[in-house]
Amino acid sequence: MVDSTSGLVDRAIFTDEGLYQQELRRVFAPSWLFLGHVDQLKKTGDFFTTFMGEDPIIVSKGKDGEIRAFLNSCRHRGARVCRADYGTTKNFTCTYHGWTYDLEGKLSNVPNVAGYDENFDTADWGLVEVAQIDNYKGLIFATWNPSAPELPDALGGAKYYMDAFLDKDPEGTVVVGGIMKWELDGNWKLAAEQFATDWYHVNMSHASALMVLSPTGKGPKSEIANTPGRQFHDEQGGHGAGFPTHPKSRFDAQKVHEHYDYGFLRERLGDATVEGPMTTGHGTIFPNFSYLPINGSIRIWHPKGPNKMEVWAWTILDKSMSPEVREAQRLYNLRTFGPSGIFESDDGENWSEVQSISNGFVTNSVALNLQMGIGSEREDGVYPGTTSELYSDAAGRNFYRKWAQLMDTPAWHEEPNE
Amino acid sequence: MTATSAVLKPGTDTLEQGRLADMETHFKVTQFYNLEAETLDDGRFGDWLEMLAEDLRYWAPVRTNRLRRQQALSILQPDEAAFYDETKESLAWRIRRFDTGMAWSEDPPSRTRHLVSNVTVREHPDGLLVRSAFLVYRNRLEKETNIFAGGRTDLLREGGVYGFELAKRTLLFEANVLQAKNISTFF
Ligand code: FES
Ligand SMILES: [Fe+2]
Repeated sequence: MVDSTSGLVDRAIFTDEGLYQQELRRVFAPSWLFLGHVDQLKKTGDFFTTFMGEDPIIVSKGKDGEIRAFLNSCRHRGARVCRADYGTTKNFTCTYHGWTYDLEGKLSNVPNVAGYDENFDTADWGLVEVAQIDNYKGLIFATWNPSAPELPDALGGAKYYMDAFLDKDPEGTVVVGGIMKWELDGNWKLAAEQFATDWYHVNMSHASALMVLSPTGKGPKSEIANTPGRQFHDEQGGHGAGFPTHPKSRFDAQKVHEHYDYGFLRERLGDATVEGPMTTGHGTIFPNFSYLPINGSIRIWHPKGPNKMEVWAWTILDKSMSPEVREAQRLYNLRTFGPSGIFESDDGENWSEVQSISNGFVTNSVALNLQMGIGSEREDGVYPGTTSELYSDAAGRNFYRKWAQLMDTPAWHEEPNE
Repeated sequence: MTATSAVLKPGTDTLEQGRLADMETHFKVTQFYNLEAETLDDGRFGDWLEMLAEDLRYWAPVRTNRLRRQQALSILQPDEAAFYDETKESLAWRIRRFDTGMAWSEDPPSRTRHLVSNVTVREHPDGLLVRSAFLVYRNRLEKETNIFAGGRTDLLREGGVYGFELAKRTLLFEANVLQAKNISTFF
């Protein structure tokens, strides 16, 4: 299915229902998955709901100030115990028969509890809690896998690249309230792979957006269109990030650009970060979290069957930005990325196009090409970890290598292979 | 970008009940809307821009599922997530993209039909406060189909080549997760 050495990928990985079910068991259940930003939970009782793979999740802030994540499914007969996107509450009451859970997930009230015999103990019937939860500079991740490495280790070499948007401000980051959510016909990997590796598509797919953004209206100058750049991939974790290294390849909102003191940033994060990952770039944390530093976009590609994904996109801001700068970043993000964004709308078109024809028998037997930059992977002496050329498919090959490896490995919840 | 004027907030501005406009005004407003829908369905976005006031605020906030007691917060605030939050200038910028010949999400172009109804016109100190409903059908390539349904609250001012100019518009999609891969038209 995946030949990551020669860079060939079988399209069945985008369409096959059996592979999709295996993916939920072996790729999503064992991995660290993005839940949201700590700024979404300001005080005790704040909660939001999301998904890990296709499993519905409640994330709440308890009386002790701890953030916890639970399966949003009543232990009695399985209804969701919370149907709001977010809010503030004292407890979660199931509207089916009235079992009530507190902010720590404990079963705190059962109507007609006398009807159960003496073996029934509410302590056994709390909400199912994730095995591990942690945040990296404000981004909350969780996993069901008790034996997964701790979050900082799982992010591995990608942390340096994430710091280009998470660590510019000593005060940290916040998010704009609310999430843009939309659904599209396309397997989640089409998007996750693209953000990990595919800078190659930018000039063609986004030609119209690049034209209207450029001062002349004719598109970027050729030294920017053909910018040099690097692409990172994390062999252990499957993560990837790419970025131009041309100083003018920085398609940011003017007000936001003026807000930054680049001398300070050079001192704080180093010249290489400012000249690389902080320019117009993108990245994916395996499996399904992606980001765009310049646009302030962070997003998750929720799998919804082999043929569909749901995109949830936030705008991330530095805490010390003034209201005017925050507003400029919010507007820039929604006008460029998001369902009406002048960049994003063309990405959606490509993914649904690739998906819509993938069911043909012959179509499905013709491999896809991820061969650019084969053999170019190296340590470049400037950017940490393994890197290759900006247009390389190396991070894509690595993404699918990691994916195939997980697909072939029994997860912690399975009997080991003979 | 130019400084943005305040949004029309559904549920507050719309409830200050102005007097319903007379028959002739009502007729002119519905004709204006029919012309607008025709312009959008013909893909004459440049002409549509002519219907917009220079100080336009065009806003489509995201709507969320909230507990009933927090329902008042279900429509996001002007500084929160939105599907559109535009000025005339930013709309012109979006429209220029369609004219580049390389806007692939609309190449070949979609077929759309904008249906506008349930129009109520009220007098307002700054012009006319008009509420309406829309149903926009988009059909693309072989059989890709989207239906965008929602409501509009507009502030119209007399003037311009079409008799009115749109000064403010607040769009509420009847959606939480938007069921479309992108939004490539206006409402
Ligand atoms: S299913 Fe929740 S109380 Fe019965
Ligand atoms: Fe793209």
